[in-house]
Amino acid sequence: MYSKDMVNLLKEIMAVDFAVYELALFLNTHPTDRRALEDHNTFATKSQELKAMYEKKYGPLVLDSISEFPYQYINDPWPWEIRY
Amino acid sequence: MWYYVKKLQYPANVARTDLGMAKFLYAQYGGPDSELSAAIRYLTQRYTMPIPQAKATLTDIGTEESVPRCYQ
Repeated sequence: MYSKDMVNLLKEIMAVDFAVYELALFLNTHPTDRRALEDHNTFATKSQELKAMYEKKYGPLVLDSISEFPYQYINDPWPWEIRY
Repeated sequence: MWYYVKKLQYPANVARTDLGMAKFLYAQYGGPDSELSAAIRYLTQRYTMPIPQAKATLTDIGTEESVPRCYQ
């Protein structure tokens, strides 16, 4: 089973990545918008920090994350099995 | 190339079964005007784009559309 803390950290990652994603799409067509790029980089940094914290505590988010033995990527819960 | 990430774009809780809604969703991701068709169009069109803005945008939205949110 998973903890409330795990779900909350995952939701925070999801929220930050949502912002990164939308800013990235905007920057594709507005590459010289400094304010958007600063926001993008701020959220992207935050995302990396949160993901490092999450993976250390709860295991890999992506198949190329470093794993303990036995291989942890396959562990439950998968995103569709979580009550958000 | 694509990697799966064990998270959703937006939190979703499936509360109950609904056959009518399931049919709408199925048409939305499998039908002729579906996300899947759009994804393939975007990912093909990007090869003929003359400017970086268009190559990047079609790559990103083609990636997003290729896996409907309910399958992530």
